[in-house]
Amino acid sequence: MTLLAVEGVRRSFGSLVAVEGVSFGIEAGEIVGMIGPNGAGKTTTFNCISSVIDSDAGTVRFDGADVTGVPPYALARRGMVRTFQQTRELETVTVADNMLLAAPEHPGERAWHAIGRTSASAQREAAARERAMELLEVFDIAGMVEEYAGNLSGGQRKLLELARSLMLDPKLLMLDEPFAGVNPSLTDEIVGHIEALNDEGMTLLIIEHELETLTDLVDRLIVLADGEVLATGPPAEIMDNEEVIDAYLGG
Amino acid sequence: MSAESGRLEDLPVDAVHLGAALFVLAVLLLYSPLFVQPPGGTFTVLEVVVLFLLYAMILVGLNLQFGHAGLVNFGPVAFFAVGGYTAAMVTAENPFGAVGLGLAWPVGIVAAVLAAAALGVVLGVSTLRLRDDFLAIVTLAVAEIIYDLIIAFRDYTGGSLGLNNVPRPIAGTTSAGDGAVLVSTIIVFGALAVLFYGVFRRLSASPYGRVLRAIRADEQVTETLGKRVFRYKLAVFVYGAAVAGLAGALLVFYNGAASAGFFTINVTVIVWIGMLIGGAGNDRGVIGGLAIIMGFQLFTRFLNDQIPFVTQDQFASLRLVLVGLLLMVIIKYRPEGIWGNADELGVDS
Repeated sequence: MTLLAVEGVRRSFGSLVAVEGVSFGIEAGEIVGMIGPNGAGKTTTFNCISSVIDSDAGTVRFDGADVTGVPPYALARRGMVRTFQQTRELETVTVADNMLLAAPEHPGERAWHAIGRTSASAQREAAARERAMELLEVFDIAGMVEEYAGNLSGGQRKLLELARSLMLDPKLLMLDEPFAGVNPSLTDEIVGHIEALNDEGMTLLIIEHELETLTDLVDRLIVLADGEVLATGPPAEIMDNEEVIDAYLGG
Repeated sequence: MSAESGRLEDLPVDAVHLGAALFVLAVLLLYSPLFVQPPGGTFTVLEVVVLFLLYAMILVGLNLQFGHAGLVNFGPVAFFAVGGYTAAMVTAENPFGAVGLGLAWPVGIVAAVLAAAALGVVLGVSTLRLRDDFLAIVTLAVAEIIYDLIIAFRDYTGGSLGLNNVPRPIAGTTSAGDGAVLVSTIIVFGALAVLFYGVFRRLSASPYGRVLRAIRADEQVTETLGKRVFRYKLAVFVYGAAVAGLAGALLVFYNGAASAGFFTINVTVIVWIGMLIGGAGNDRGVIGGLAIIMGFQLFTRFLNDQIPFVTQDQFASLRLVLVGLLLMVIIKYRPEGIWGNADELGVDS
């Protein structure tokens, strides 16, 4: 089943065309890597798919429905969850609240439940807290739970961001450079987490600049260059592709 | 929320219950023949207490907007003024040279809250999608525009003369004189201030408040985690507007008149400074900050009486200088305010 189908997505900034008619599909259960040289349009493509910016043209279908232009909060609720290139944990919020914030369908986030202190809100909060602690244990940052996220180390922030996105139980998790600025042992740890999530059936789309880690991890690579899809296929095939080698070497 | 700040913020009694109980008691007192006569000479202090309670109501809304959600509203007085003048125009009986519909005061209260909330919706919808600093500029400008409109449309508002013959519901319940009215007013307004503190405290201490603090930290991330950021921003903006409008109505019903002098930028300045001194985001701290700044003003007013060779006008300017200095000291040496949380506000102290 095709979980995500991107068709002819285009986006320009002034006279610069960042993404020019990108089309690709992702099957449920796949891990797909998106690679390309700097300025190839990877992050812009991500932003268009997740509606963080509007695309000029093109359609996005997710989980059987047309979600073009659907606002980011609604995509997150449908199960399309993304992270950002620069780790963007909420620094002025505790680790616990970072996690709990992401809990979906929380009645306590409505004013009436908050003022009335309803039991529905309290129950959801307890369940969310339990789930949050489970995830923090898995990601080995449970000890930092009451710490403000701004006081975490760079690696811990990466893990927190990943754990937080899992609070939403995503069908498709889109990671923008999850290994950027991460030391080798933590890279292995994150790879382990991603593989475990995929084994449980989660579909992942990963932007990455560093090829070595990605080629071992993913089922398929999508290569972007100059705002267009240059090639797509299994990593081994892509690595032998002349066009891709040229694009990467700046030929 | 860490356990430490939880202890600081939680009153032994729930403020919503306390405020509601106080309000019932206050109404019973009003309708009983009983009254409290304050000692003479305390009137000046009690008048400031009345204003403090009204400003506190504005401040609980402002603190939810800025302290929690990070919305820079530099015009809380706009909603205070719109509420006050709406209440006055709806209820005044034959005011001299102004609009007065002569309706009952409860109608005036409802109209005041609706008008202030409506202004909040209009401003919110038009500016909350823009960058933060636009909201600051727009709210500041709107507050000044509303003040100018009040002065300019004197056929409707009474202009600089003000709008008289507004009903005084609390004064009407006793014939024991101004002192008793002051005390009754303080009890009623105090009950309402505690009640609204409690309601807004429940909002800020709940998952609702968590979403607001996430919006302050990073709107885009909050949105991609499934929250309707714009809706939250609009809601807290309108809640604050509505409560400020109510406070404005209470003021004119206490005074029996609306006067532009009560709705100057000074109101905005005092509540903002109170919030910054107390520590934005700390629901009790901001009220403490407001008490400090208003207490300071009261104290210096008494001080003025002891210094014969400085006129009142000169002293008022000097006082502003002192308030400015106090604010500078706070921002330099304790940017999170006295009771604020530096980690939550993202400042280094």
